[in-house]
Amino acid sequence: MSTDTTTRPSAGPFATESTGARVLRFAIRRGPLILFAAVCVYLALASPFFLTQANILSSLEQTAPIAVVAFGLAIVVIGGGDDVVSGGIDLSLPASAALATVILSDQLTNRGAGLPQAFLLALLAALVVGLVNAVLVTVVGLSAILATLATYVAVVGVTRVVSENRRIDVTDPAILYIRDEELLGLPVAVWIMLLVFAVVAFLVHRTRYGMNLQATGGNLDAARSAGIRTTRIVASTFVLASVAAAVAGVLLVARGSGSSPGIDERLLVDMMLATFIGAAFSPRNVVNVLGAMLGATFVALLSNGLVLTRVNNSWIDGWKGVLILIVVAAAALQHRERK
Amino acid sequence: MTTTDTRPGLVGALRSSGSWIARYAFLAAFAALFVFFSVQATSFLSGSNLLNALQGSMILLLIALALTLVISSGGIDLSAGTALDFGAWFAIAAMATYGLPWPLAVLCALAGGALVGSVNAFLIVTLGVTPFLATLGTFFIGRSLQQIGTGGGANINYRDAPEGFRALTSGSTLFIPNEVLLVGIVLVVFYLYLQRSKHGVRIEAMGLQDSAARTAGLRTRRYRAGIYIAAGVTCAVAGILLSSGLRIYTPMAGFSYLLDGIAAVFIGASMHPRARPNVLGTLAGVLFLSMLNNGLDLLGLDFNAKAALRGLVLLVALTLAFLIAKQARRTTAVRAAAIG
Repeated sequence: MSTDTTTRPSAGPFATESTGARVLRFAIRRGPLILFAAVCVYLALASPFFLTQANILSSLEQTAPIAVVAFGLAIVVIGGGDDVVSGGIDLSLPASAALATVILSDQLTNRGAGLPQAFLLALLAALVVGLVNAVLVTVVGLSAILATLATYVAVVGVTRVVSENRRIDVTDPAILYIRDEELLGLPVAVWIMLLVFAVVAFLVHRTRYGMNLQATGGNLDAARSAGIRTTRIVASTFVLASVAAAVAGVLLVARGSGSSPGIDERLLVDMMLATFIGAAFSPRNVVNVLGAMLGATFVALLSNGLVLTRVNNSWIDGWKGVLILIVVAAAALQHRERK
Repeated sequence: MTTTDTRPGLVGALRSSGSWIARYAFLAAFAALFVFFSVQATSFLSGSNLLNALQGSMILLLIALALTLVISSGGIDLSAGTALDFGAWFAIAAMATYGLPWPLAVLCALAGGALVGSVNAFLIVTLGVTPFLATLGTFFIGRSLQQIGTGGGANINYRDAPEGFRALTSGSTLFIPNEVLLVGIVLVVFYLYLQRSKHGVRIEAMGLQDSAARTAGLRTRRYRAGIYIAAGVTCAVAGILLSSGLRIYTPMAGFSYLLDGIAAVFIGASMHPRARPNVLGTLAGVLFLSMLNNGLDLLGLDFNAKAALRGLVLLVALTLAFLIAKQARRTTAVRAAAIG
């Protein structure tokens, strides 16, 4: 028996393990992050442009709206639990974000409003969707996935009616500022993403509300028995998430210099990918805010790197899927090894 | 009060009538909408329209059945549309490109669906990836493979498909359209398996608490692998029907069925006393969504307005049905308590 392992509570079976086994165990435990790094190193070697500051910043800028919506979804999943049938999920967020882009573009371009006024209206619309979700889930008693799927369909339809399914260009100076300018070396859109991240992370991890939120998502009955007003908590998650959707709307308008029809479907897939792959980066394999950030960044760098290394367009989604699955499988194996 | 649902006599009758209302409140909304469409659109009630609507809902029903199976086991299959695509693709490609006879092409299509399901099963059961991510990954890879295989997403036409293959959707047996007959058989099989056999109980146990099911001695890994493969094959059948009807393969057409399929399953689950996915509920959900589509089409609305109205009607119908159901549950509980 070597002495250095005897202090571990689980030293028994590993007491005589070789260095190789220990390295393997470390690799499995840190697997997802190591793979993330390995993919980045490969892409950097394959394309010298990949690791340049300009490229990294521009891919972060591209991913900002996805990350912000993913933060919103993370709040809902943390508060509702991650069970597929009865857990928390908000599929209507991409639709709310798309509605926000249309309202913003319409106000800024066709009605001559300023950004504050346009944003307030977009926020109001998103809040209405969030409140409807909250009522459907907590008062009416629908499962979150059905309620938000129904509002997704409804909001996408309303968005089409409002926009007449046409693109609206935006040349408002405030939007162009978010699109083009940099502050202290970072694009403004990235600052907005980081600001939302800081607020949400603080809310979830450093406040009483956040503790109640995590307790509610972890075990609803136990949280209720402990005196937490779980109904209010669950309702609040949908409202908070809709605020994130409205902010993402601003970033989407800046990214696309206006609103285009049909952005919701792509955003839906990207949002779920970012949020749920984020769980792979967490030690307990649960959805969390930092994970959503890392997930969104990972997906963005991956897409960007594959384009830069001149992978055929048709192959990009496939490679993306394979690499994502490898990272996620590593996380699953790590989780199993811990158990 | 220690009254339970199984207590005989007046209390039990009152309780069960309450749960009966709760259960069928959505069907009342269904009926109301049916009457509305019959009054507003004269051609809605015609036999040919209803038959068309029914035939048009068969593909969605297959997808929704596959999802019912997966969701009752506590999973999700976001690659259901991909399995449909592979079914359609393999069937058309086998005949158009490789000149195989149509029964073999059908087998190829089923194998395509089984392939998608096996990848999911491998990821979920062998590697332990969460179903959300595993099937999302399969969805991405499947989409890419289709783009690669079709040179960037071009359609494969096969206008002169063999008569036998076309008869899968255009023919009829004993006055019942073949498509309806075929899907009806699948429906009955799903019903017997999930709702009337021990396997259904086991799968639900897995969905409620996997670790408990495993402790109780269920071979959950074997069941779960089978579930994803069966779901893939069922979706491939939908793909065969789609390609038989259109005689064309459009890459990545399956995704559009996914959200409606999930909605149908959860509409059905919400009619269940314990809010679990179930086959008959799914059927009701599919018929409701199809009727909504068909009725709104007949009203002659603008394309965009139709999209908005469809979602709003769905929202209002669900809300009303559930508020009525909740009220019914509450009043009968109070009355039962007063008597008991």
